[in-house]
Amino acid sequence: MSIDGQSTPAPDESVRPAVSAPRRAVIVGGNRIPFARAGGAYAKSSNQDMLTAALDGLIARFGLQDERIGQVAAGAVLKHSRDFNLTREAVLGSALSAETPVYDLQQACATGLETVVGLANKIKLGQIDSAIAGGVDSASDAPVVVSEGLRDIILDLNRAKSLPQRLQILSRLRPKDLAPLAPGTAEPRTGLSMGEHQALTTAQWQISREAQDELALNSHRNLAAAYDSGFFDDLLTPYRGLTRDANLRADTSLEKLASLKPVFGRNLGAGATMTAGNSTPLTDGASTVLLASDDWADARDLPKLAAVVDAEAAAVDFVHGKDGLLMAPVFAVPRLLARQNLTLGDFDFFEIHEAFAATVLSTLAAWEDEEFCRTRLGLDGAFGSVDRSRLNVNGSSLAAGHPFAATGGRIVSSLAKMLHAKADAEGRPVRGLVSVCAAGGQGVVAILESV
Amino acid sequence: MTLQQPVILAEMPSLSKLYVNAAAQAARRRLLGTHDSADLPAESHDVRGVTVDVGNLTAYQHLIGETASDVLPAGFIHALAFPLAMSVMNRDDFPLPLLGMIHLRNSVEQRTPLVFTDVLDMTARVENLRGHRAGTQVDVVAEVRRAGSADIHWRGVSTYLAKGLFLPGIDKPTAAAPKPEFTAPAPTALWHLGVDTGRAYAAVSGDFNPIHLSVLSAKALGMRRSIAHGMYLASRALADVGPARGDAFSWDVEFEAPVFLPCRVALEISTDQASSGAWKHSRYVAWNPRSGRRHFHGTVSAL
Repeated sequence: MSIDGQSTPAPDESVRPAVSAPRRAVIVGGNRIPFARAGGAYAKSSNQDMLTAALDGLIARFGLQDERIGQVAAGAVLKHSRDFNLTREAVLGSALSAETPVYDLQQACATGLETVVGLANKIKLGQIDSAIAGGVDSASDAPVVVSEGLRDIILDLNRAKSLPQRLQILSRLRPKDLAPLAPGTAEPRTGLSMGEHQALTTAQWQISREAQDELALNSHRNLAAAYDSGFFDDLLTPYRGLTRDANLRADTSLEKLASLKPVFGRNLGAGATMTAGNSTPLTDGASTVLLASDDWADARDLPKLAAVVDAEAAAVDFVHGKDGLLMAPVFAVPRLLARQNLTLGDFDFFEIHEAFAATVLSTLAAWEDEEFCRTRLGLDGAFGSVDRSRLNVNGSSLAAGHPFAATGGRIVSSLAKMLHAKADAEGRPVRGLVSVCAAGGQGVVAILESV
Repeated sequence: MTLQQPVILAEMPSLSKLYVNAAAQAARRRLLGTHDSADLPAESHDVRGVTVDVGNLTAYQHLIGETASDVLPAGFIHALAFPLAMSVMNRDDFPLPLLGMIHLRNSVEQRTPLVFTDVLDMTARVENLRGHRAGTQVDVVAEVRRAGSADIHWRGVSTYLAKGLFLPGIDKPTAAAPKPEFTAPAPTALWHLGVDTGRAYAAVSGDFNPIHLSVLSAKALGMRRSIAHGMYLASRALADVGPARGDAFSWDVEFEAPVFLPCRVALEISTDQASSGAWKHSRYVAWNPRSGRRHFHGTVSAL
C-alpha cells in the first residue's frame, strides 16, 4: 500500500521485532527543582546552577556522594556557547566523583527524554551500570548574542595585523550592529513562532477553545492535588525559596481561563483559541533521573520503580505545512507500539507533554481520525483513543511550566513513581507512555513499565 | 574577671560609616596623641536577626566561582559578619588604628551548612593582643548562629597587624626563624585578575576599602596600585577546592604578599586522601608567576 505519510508496520510477521536486550535498565528515582516562571525566583541562576542544584538533591536522596556514575547526560535548549560542557561542569560542581564521564545533548524540548533513552540503551547493552539523565533550561538567563554585523567585525579585528587595517574594519560599524539579539522561539525556516505553528494545527484539527481550557484546568487541578497528596515529596528539592512550581494556579477556573485573550493565531480571526492560559509559559528549571542496571541498584539497596522498555523518535516535514510542527509523536507512537505489539488500550498512564493544550488535543484527534490514520500512518483505520482519565493524571507542563530540556526528566521520574505505586497496589505490571514534541518538527516517545 | 554583657546593635552597622569614623579617629589620634593602652575592649558586639539578600548571594557566588546553591559559602558569611567585626575595632577603647591594618591570616570553621533562608545572630569580639616583629597583632573572632539558637554554625578568626605600632607592656617576639625559600611548584590553575577585581568584590561583599577600588584611591592611602581583597582570593581558592570539602570543614589562609591589580596569579591545589579514599584536606598556594613571590597559602580540611 502506498501512502503519503510515514507507514506504520502492521502487527504481523512483517514487523521488525524489538531486539531483546541482554538486561534491563531501571529508573531508581528522580529529582528536580520546582519550576519558576521566567524572571522569577531563578532569574539570576544560570543553567549550571540549576542543573547542579537538581543533581545535588538527587545525590543526597540516593547517597551518591563520591560515586563514579557510569555516565551522566543532560543538556539545555537555550545554551550559551561558553557552556559547551554544561553537564560536565555541573558534575564537577556536585558531590559525584570527578571521575564520572559526561556528555551534553541537545534535541530541543525532547532533550531530557532523549538522555533517558540513550543512557538506558547503554545500560541495556552492558556498557555502563548506572547513569543520570537530565535537562535544564533558563528562559531568564538566556544567552544574548551580538548582531551578525558586529560579530563579523570582531572576528575580522582579531585577524587584523596593523592599525590602519583595524581602523578600516571599525569604520564598517553601524549603529544597528550594536543591537543585541535575544533568542526567540521562532522556527528558523518559517519565521513563525511555535505558538503560531500550533495555531495552524489547532485550526486544522478544529480544536475548540473550551476543550483547550478544560485541559489546562485539569493540568492545574491535577498538579495541585499531586502536591497536596505529597506526591512530589521525594521528587523535588526546594531551590531559591521555591517549594512548588511557581506557575501552578490551584484556584484557576474555566471562567478565568475563558476570560483570557488569544495570543496565537490572531490572524485567524474568530478561529483564534490559544491563550496564555492554555499555552505553556517561559519557565526556568532543571530535572534529573537516576537509571541503573538491576545489579547496581540491588547492590546499593536502591528502589527500582520502572524499566525503560523502548523508545522511538520521529520527525515531520512541517516547513511547508505538510504536517504540524509539533505532530511528530503522532507518527512515533504507532511505530513504537507496533514494534512492541501493544495498543493504546494496553497503557495505564499517558504522559503527553502539554506544549500547548491544543498540541495534546491535536495529537489525540489525529489518532482518532480514520482518514488520517489510513492515509498518513498507513493503518487500516483509526489508531485509537486515549482514555482521558489516564492522561497527565498528576498535571503536566501547562501547570508545572516547561523549562524545555527539563521536561523529559520531570515526566519520566513522575511516571516511574506512578507506575510503581499502581503496580504495588494492583499486583500486576502496569505500563506508561511518554510523548514529547520538539522544535524542528521532532518528537520522542517512550514506554516505561513497572518493575 | 567579670563576664561582660554584649553590646547588642540594633542593626548591622554600615561599613562606609565605619570607614569614615575610622578616618576621623585616626586624625584625632594624630592630633591628640594615642592613649597607648594595651587593653582590648572586653565587650562583644552582637547583632540579631540578620537576613541574606538572595540577589547579593547569587552575585557573590558567581563572582568567586561557586555554584549558586542555597548554601551560604563560608566566605560569604565572613563578608556578612565583617561590618560587625569592624565595629568592635572601631570602638574608641580599641587600642590599634583600624585604617591601615594588614590582614595576616584568617581561619574559619564551617561546622554545619547555613542556607539563605536562615535568620542569623552574630557576635564579634577582639582578643589575643600580642606582639609581632613588625608591630602589634590582634584576633577578631566572629561567631554565627541560627536566630535563637546557641549552636555556633560558623566561626571565623581574623588576625590583623598594626604595622609599626608597638604598645607598652607587649613584648616584641624574638625574630622568627627565617622562612624556607619558596620554590614555585607546577601550577594547577591560573587566575587572570582584571583591574576591576577589587571593585567587583566590593560590590558583592560591601567592603569598599579604598585600597581595593582604584589606582588613585589606593595611591591616596600610600599603595602603589590597588590590591585584591584577601578574602576574595581565599574564597576563590576555597571555591577551587570544590565540593570535595563537604558540608563541614575548616578553612585557613595566610596572606604573605599583596596581589596588585591587574595581574595573573598562579596556584597549586593539592589534595590528601585517607587510605579509604575519602578526602582529608586540600592545600593551596598562590604566587606571582612572573616574580615567583608567594602571595598566600592555606588549607581546607574536613572537620
